[in-house]
Amino acid sequence: MTQGSLRFEGREVPIHDGDTVASALFRTGVRTFSRSLKSHRRRGLYCGTGECPNCTVTVDGVPGVRSCVTPAGGGMRVERGRGWPSAEHDLLHVTDLMHPLMPVGFYMKTFVRPRFAWPVAERVIRRHTGSGPLPRRREPARTTSRHLHVDTIVIGAGTSGLSAALETVRAGERVLLCDAFGVGSQVPRPRRDAIGALEAEARKEPGIEILEGYAALGVYEGPTVALASQDELVQVHPSRIVVATGAAETHEAFPGNDLPGVWLGRAASRMASAHGVPPGSRVVFVASTGEGLEHLLALVAAGTNVTAAVVPSAFVDRVPPAVEAIADGELVSAHGRGRVRSVVVRERGLERRLRCDALVLSTGLSPRDELARMAPDEPVEVVGDAAGDGDTPRVTGGHLCLCEDVTVHDAEQAWAEGFRSAEILKRYTTATMGPCRGAMCGRALTAFAAARSDEGDRAAVARTTARPPVRPATLETLAASVHEMIEKRTSLHETHLAAGAALGWSGGWKRPFSYGDAAEEYAAVRERAGLMDVGTLAKILIAGRDASALVDQVFPGRVADLPAGRTRYVLALDEAGYVADDGVLCAFEDGSYLLTSTSGGAERMDARLREWRHRLGLHVHLLDRTSELGAILVAGPRARDVLEPLSDDPIDAAALSHATHADVTVAGVPCTAIRTGFVGELGFELHHPRSRGPELWSALQSAGEAFAIRPFGLDALEILRLEKGHLYVGQDTLPDDTPAKLGLDRLVDMGKEWFVGKAALERLAAMPLGRRLTPLTFAGGPPDTDGLRGMPVMAGGDVVGRVTSAATSPALGRAIGLAWIRTHGGELPTDLRVGEATATIAETPFYDPDGERLHG
Amino acid sequence: MAELSTSAPSVTAILASAEACERVSALPGACPVSPVEVAIVGDASITALRQAVERIDPDALVSDVSDGWVLHTLDGPGARDAFARLSELELPFSGFVQGAVARIRVRVLVQGDRVDMLVPSMLAAHLLERIQDECRELLT
Amino acid sequence: MTLRIPCPTCGERPHTEFTFGGEARPAVAEDTEADFARVFLPDNHPGSARERWFHALGCRTWFELTRDATTNRIG
Repeated sequence: MTQGSLRFEGREVPIHDGDTVASALFRTGVRTFSRSLKSHRRRGLYCGTGECPNCTVTVDGVPGVRSCVTPAGGGMRVERGRGWPSAEHDLLHVTDLMHPLMPVGFYMKTFVRPRFAWPVAERVIRRHTGSGPLPRRREPARTTSRHLHVDTIVIGAGTSGLSAALETVRAGERVLLCDAFGVGSQVPRPRRDAIGALEAEARKEPGIEILEGYAALGVYEGPTVALASQDELVQVHPSRIVVATGAAETHEAFPGNDLPGVWLGRAASRMASAHGVPPGSRVVFVASTGEGLEHLLALVAAGTNVTAAVVPSAFVDRVPPAVEAIADGELVSAHGRGRVRSVVVRERGLERRLRCDALVLSTGLSPRDELARMAPDEPVEVVGDAAGDGDTPRVTGGHLCLCEDVTVHDAEQAWAEGFRSAEILKRYTTATMGPCRGAMCGRALTAFAAARSDEGDRAAVARTTARPPVRPATLETLAASVHEMIEKRTSLHETHLAAGAALGWSGGWKRPFSYGDAAEEYAAVRERAGLMDVGTLAKILIAGRDASALVDQVFPGRVADLPAGRTRYVLALDEAGYVADDGVLCAFEDGSYLLTSTSGGAERMDARLREWRHRLGLHVHLLDRTSELGAILVAGPRARDVLEPLSDDPIDAAALSHATHADVTVAGVPCTAIRTGFVGELGFELHHPRSRGPELWSALQSAGEAFAIRPFGLDALEILRLEKGHLYVGQDTLPDDTPAKLGLDRLVDMGKEWFVGKAALERLAAMPLGRRLTPLTFAGGPPDTDGLRGMPVMAGGDVVGRVTSAATSPALGRAIGLAWIRTHGGELPTDLRVGEATATIAETPFYDPDGERLHG
Repeated sequence: MAELSTSAPSVTAILASAEACERVSALPGACPVSPVEVAIVGDASITALRQAVERIDPDALVSDVSDGWVLHTLDGPGARDAFARLSELELPFSGFVQGAVARIRVRVLVQGDRVDMLVPSMLAAHLLERIQDECRELLT
Repeated sequence: MTLRIPCPTCGERPHTEFTFGGEARPAVAEDTEADFARVFLPDNHPGSARERWFHALGCRTWFELTRDATTNRIG
């Protein structure tokens, strides 16, 4: 019964009911499904369970699709990946002939000299390996991510999984049952019907959530299990994990084992029974287990011509009469060019050649235990076939690792070179590092090492480390939980946008860098008045009976005597005596303080204050008001003139002098006005309720129109503050800068009994300073002074420092900057150069050194 | 499906002794942030609160911090599914939980199919964008 | 996919909600030399140690716990 068709390399291929992409193609005569990674050998259908790489094709432009487990859909476009000019006639097959010239690890030894050879070789090699080119999509596909909390997760919905889920839900737990494909889909055909009843029961249970098409990628600490479907990532948080992932069929390594026409039992019996297509017209079957026998019987029942079956003597009388039973025989090799044409079997010591066009093997199980092995410390229980020990595959020749095209011969060479354990062989030969993740070849590799190691050498025979992802997942799916940058905004965000501001990232906030003309903005502040949104400042309320004790011990300076209504610039040190942050402390009448600090540093400062409150056992209230309060800076010689008409409260030089603060109402908005000097002009930082920011800004703009007030951004601020020599912690400071190195000793009171970092400073005081943050002026440099920032400072031929900030000062008419410079014997070197410019040591402030404009 | 809405809540911060905080925790809209901090969400007479708290702990701090918070609400049968896309936190049937939502610090009040998320105002726009983007298919 | 930290106020949470405060150590040492060791030379031995953690994305309180750095077991 046909169900439409798919498009395969230019022709229409009919789809029957229940077809996979592989079965539809196979039915139409396709025998070569892909070309192997290095040697471009033909590869045909093999495992049928989505583990080996052989059936990999490109579907609708997406490479790496396992066609044997992908349901065929009408209208699909299917192509084979590798091969030039085509997979069917691949000229690059010549690399297979060159195999002797490309011994294991050859690419690590070749292409080293001449040096130019590798980039060239890499481009060529890259074009012809891999699963195929990626689809050209401008936008990644939409994928989502979610978390799920359950009591128990059962991974694998086969017989054991369904049973475990039912048992668990009846004990009253919430259960998640998941499967990479569909419920019961991987159970070998002969046993499929038996689980129909289990499936029906499980689907009826409201306490069991079933996720089909979700592959478990790994078990992580927590525990957390990551599940991925085509377009969703689910992070499951269970208390208990049951691994019921079953077992794959054993992959044997013998000469000719990778030829098209060599099948594993499940793949062959499914093709014949479920899809109605015999795997070949003359089939030789090798069965060592009960399951193998079932597959043999299924093939025969489906009408396949099985000419001979190599079975243990105990099974002989179950072999159908039409099939020649070879008791206790041994498969030696498979032969044929491009596909299987004959196999050699040893029977009672004699070798026989059997003509055939398909060889089916069902010789054991390889438990899929990776999920359990990767998380030994998590509560994981393994049930069913996954809990078995597995069967040891024969490793006599042929391909050990199909994905990476590693032969047993390659492994022998590696062993001879001294790589003598499964783990090391893996790294050197890349065996088990392909898409199957060792599901097919892991045990073969271990068996190889075990056969050649001494008895009791456990390291040599240990299984290779199990790691996620256990099944492939696309980056698009994994990226579903990718993080967007966390963006903070003030309440003036829209206002800035409307004013044409260029916004950028600064300290985790989106801030205006300029409103179109930074030079004009600078001029406005120096000559008249400017307006800046400083709502990004950290603002922390410190209150409670021990508030004074906390600030006195956290900050190194003299703050205990700070009178109400006054402010003080403070440093925050860590226990090593290094400057971690700076800020301004405002003291209030009721014994509380408001600390303002570097924008973007609020959480850090709050954490620091909480830490010392905890360690010193102090009774202090800490309230982070960073979000709650907006702040607008009005700065410039006319700043007071702008504010006067907007407030009934006194804001003259007596009422609000330099380094003081007061509560004033401006344009009806209640503010804490703090006199600041960061930009070197008369300045009022108006802290107000966040929601009233736009209203206040608007009022200030209107009042300032008479003075041509302008909003200014970070670009103008950079120059304004640099002209006063003010540093930015983080930009002008190094992680191990002490107050002395920054020239800020005056902010430290060594007379205090104790403060954070005091002992460190005492110890460091006995040592030479080492370096100093030094103000510089430059001459003869490039017109773009910004370029000086970050450049090394040279004295003679030696590097003696680095420029941390640099700008052209309009007020001085020259380039200025800050740099840390090494001292020798406490002295700074002379004859300094930065690039082409000469640098002269200067004094700060560069501008208004007596602070007259500041103290207005 | 769930409906997403935003509002400006009334929030009062109470920083006081453990005893005082415990007493206040019984009030409607109380979120026990830590043993020495409680937030009351919803209209509250700050004077009455301050009096009540100071009676037990005279050194307490009671402050209207409404401007510091924004409320984003998911309401409907899909609210919890939407929340599960944003956070690893496990929500009780009803109550208060605080932790990481879309990687930022959020206070969550949940009652049945209604999930109220209190976010610091400086991060409100960011969280809104994250909800709209990641929960797209679940929002009405 | 995380180590779970038991916050005394909020219960077990993924470590990504926390800031690690290092090995617990006293706030002062007997002299400046001992202070150097106090700050720069933590015990750092394999096995259990007392540590300070801060629930940054939750209740924002500091607390101590014991963690075995080789097994990541807490308590």
